Parts: sequence; C-alpha cells; structure tokens
Amino acid sequence: MASLITCPHCGQRPKEEFTIKGDAGLTRPAPDADADVWYDYVYLRDNPKGLHKEYWHHSSGCRRWLIVERDTVTHKVHSVADAALAELGGAA
Amino acid sequence: MPDLPTSKPALAGKAPLQGVQFAVEALPEGHLLQLMGPTTLDELRALFDTFGLGGSVIRAAGFRQWYVMGEAPLEPAALRGIAGALPRGVFLSDQSHGRVRIRVSGPRAAQVLARGTAVDLHGSQFPAGAAAMTLFGHIPVHLSRTGEAEFELTVLRSFAEALFGELEPFAA
Ligand SMILES: [Zn+2]
Repeated sequence: MASLITCPHCGQRPKEEFTIKGDAGLTRPAPDADADVWYDYVYLRDNPKGLHKEYWHHSSGCRRWLIVERDTVTHKVHSVADAALAELGGAA
Repeated sequence: MPDLPTSKPALAGKAPLQGVQFAVEALPEGHLLQLMGPTTLDELRALFDTFGLGGSVIRAAGFRQWYVMGEAPLEPAALRGIAGALPRGVFLSDQSHGRVRIRVSGPRAAQVLARGTAVDLHGSQFPAGAAAMTLFGHIPVHLSRTGEAEFELTVLRSFAEALFGELEPFAA
C-alpha cells in the first residue's frame, strides 16, 4: 500500500487523509444493459498485479477526487491527477 | 421556558490556557463562510471589502475553496447581500454555527501541532499566511499559520471540544 500520496492541490500527505474509492478503469454500462453486465460492473473486480489506476478521495484534505496510478507490487506511485480536471482535459 | 434549547458557543466555559511556551484559546464564534467556485483570492477580497468586511480574513481551503472568517456575527441581510453578489459559478455556505476556531500560539506551537498533523510545519514549507485542510489525529481541521509562532485551527463544531481537549494538556 502506498503510504504517501502527493495530492496535486495539497502536496504530499499520508494515506490516512484519503479514502480509496476503487478501480478507476471501469466504464458504467448503459442503463438497459444486461443484468450480467451490471452484475460484473457492480460486484466483480480484477486484482491486478502491477500497475493499477484507482480513485482516491482526499476526504480529510481538499475533498477532491483523484486518480492515483500505482504499482501493487512495488508500491511505487506513478501519477496522481485530479479526476474532474483530467476528464475536462485540463492539468491538475 | 427551561426545556427550550439555548444557543451557546461550542467551547463556552473554556478559559484560554497559557502553559510553558504554548497557549490555546477558543476564538469568538463570529462569522465563517465557505466559498467554492472559479474565483480568486483578489476577487473575493474586493467583494468582501465592498460589504464592509475588510477585517475578515480569507484563507484558501483547497482547490477553488476558501474560508472567510471574522469575529463579528453577520446579519442575515448582509449574508443575503453577499450571496447575491458572488461571481457566476461561485457558491457560499454559511458555516458560522458549524465550525469553531481555536488559536494556538507560543514557541512550542509548531512542535505540538506536528504531533497531530503530517503537514510539514517548518517555516520554509508552511510560512505565515499558509493554510491547509488536514487531519489533527483523527479530527479534520483547517490549519493556518497566522504568525511565526501562531496558528489557527478551524474545526467542525461537534469536534471542537475533543480537539480543545487534545491541546489542553500541552498548555498545562
Ligand atoms: Zn488534496
């Protein structure tokens, strides 16, 4: 587990300030998609070995949603970006 | 009527404490406004000055978020006036009764705060005027440095007593 996350807004902070909100690589199915597809989206997760993108909420800091790319083997954090700003195409 | 709730400060009855090189003091519950949106410190400063609130401090509280704080309570009409004059896309939440300010000061202040927060409080990293949202132990706080040896903590009202209690022993 990465224990220090560099928030693009707040700087380096300990993981205790954040809430991990899961896989950032999922795409929400269409509302009328099959129940199987929805079941997969809601309940089934990969357990990747290596690079992994996750949503982290800086819940006890700036309260922004971040996308943290980290390595589950080496614990190295590769990038941290503001999720909303990344979606809008702006720099975090 | 004795059974009606009465309004009193969250830290009513807590006297300022002066210990060895460390002091802790509850600040008056005046006004505390949270603002969010695409604006700047300069724009907010100008806006609050026009409403006669030049004495209120404005402190950054995260990306596009600010706290405006002062020791005098705000009348509802003044608050409505400010809310109506905000730049487009900027929103205001009156936290005057929701958050409490505590001042800590003294040569040991940074050292005591460092026991609770991971923010680097060295003067080169967190000089006077700096502010951060962080944790003090398990309590979320807005921490700002108001002088070389003086800080302010803004905390949710329901955590105020617990936070004050954690700081009290250091001022004994
Ligand atoms: Zn942050």
